[in-house]
Amino acid sequence: MTALLEVRELTVRHAREVLLSNVTFSVERGSLHALVGPNGAGKTTLLSAVLGLTPFTGRIFAHWERSGRLAYVPQQFHVDRTLPVTVADFLALTRQSRPVCFGIAPATQKRISLLLERVGLKGFDRRLLSVLSGGELRRVLLANALDPLPELLILDEPAGGLDENAARWLDDTLVSLKGEVTVVMVSHDSAQVRRIADQVTVLERAGA
Amino acid sequence: MTAFYDWFQYPFLVRGFLCVLLLAPLLGGLSHLVVARRMAFFSAALGQAAITGVCVGLLLGEPLNAPYGGMFGFCMLSTLGMVYAKRRSALPPDTLIGVFLALTLGLGLCLLVAVTRQFNVHQVEAVLFGSLLTVTDTDLALLVLAGAGVAVILLRNYNDLLLDSLSPSLAKARGIDSGFLEYLFALVLTVAILVSLKVIGALLVEALVVVPAAASRNIARGTRAYLAWSVAVACLAGIGGLMISTRLLVPTGGAVVLAASLIFFLTLLSSALRRA
Repeated sequence: MTALLEVRELTVRHAREVLLSNVTFSVERGSLHALVGPNGAGKTTLLSAVLGLTPFTGRIFAHWERSGRLAYVPQQFHVDRTLPVTVADFLALTRQSRPVCFGIAPATQKRISLLLERVGLKGFDRRLLSVLSGGELRRVLLANALDPLPELLILDEPAGGLDENAARWLDDTLVSLKGEVTVVMVSHDSAQVRRIADQVTVLERAGA
Repeated sequence: MTAFYDWFQYPFLVRGFLCVLLLAPLLGGLSHLVVARRMAFFSAALGQAAITGVCVGLLLGEPLNAPYGGMFGFCMLSTLGMVYAKRRSALPPDTLIGVFLALTLGLGLCLLVAVTRQFNVHQVEAVLFGSLLTVTDTDLALLVLAGAGVAVILLRNYNDLLLDSLSPSLAKARGIDSGFLEYLFALVLTVAILVSLKVIGALLVEALVVVPAAASRNIARGTRAYLAWSVAVACLAGIGGLMISTRLLVPTGGAVVLAASLIFFLTLLSSALRRA
């Protein structure tokens, strides 16, 4: 197996405080790699650096072989409760070039319906994003991340807010992606990590 | 009282009517993205900056009815400054914009004193509150050009702008340049606000980029309805305000904003009744 992602001596500072210090690890292609550690260890910060959202020192290499497509499911996704964006509108934003405010193209609508069916949310197209439960919103975000299939999928605590059935469904989905998609996942659920992860990187608090 | 069909006997009313027909969909269309991107306060600061820009233009010798150089120059610089500071500072955006608002307003008031030594203060009032009498053919042409440009830019970037408003991190993961979008949208908004000043006025223009979207949120379900209602509310408020303004001889900007506010409260009532 070859590495898709290599992180070398990565350090992140914010306002003179060291959030991550000299983190080095690599992620094998097609594997499911879990990042674990206590609160404040910098797991989300590490993902943020990999996504290019946080300045860092050190090196991050991505050895793309296929689409080079990266998908991300954030830990938190706060939707303004009064913003009238439906699930279909949200999913159409990256699936059609026509402005979503002018409607969703029939082909895009069909694709969205299939996508929602795949994540167990059939018929949710017209629901407002703001009225979804945490678990439903997480499924919508996962649906968004999985189409088209990315080469690297980054998940920040994907099981957060999911009930037992949904968590099992998530595990099955992630396991089914192995070999096709490289997954980097932050998790606090040690049982889930033991069940599905191929590799684990443990982060300690900086200075601990 | 002036009957509706009598309007077309007066060229200034025809120009005003055309202006409202152009700027209402422009500001209404922008308003739903302004509110989604939480830029309402930014729009208010920009309106204040326009007063300072007009003073700068007049003091530099620009004509009273077209101080475009000072207004566009100062407001563009203020916009770039606000976005730059917002992106670089850890302070909350509303705090930073508040600082800029205080700075431009303080400077504007000082310059206004200097301006009123050269001009009658009532001549400057039109910039503050809006007046149909001051709208020229050049203003109308500028509105057409700006409206077309803003529409093209917005439609080309609409999906990215909305995704970036919902989640900058998701947008970034999709390869969307949030920084570029933030500058682009702020500049587009600045242009739209500035070309609307003659009719609506610097103090009230921000209301027309906030109230239509706020009213629309009370009744819309889905992005398409959100845009459609925002534009419809802005158009209704524009035409209604114009009629009130010409009948009661009150400033156009004030009348338009009052009409928009009335529609907002009606939509609020409708939303409350629907939920009851």
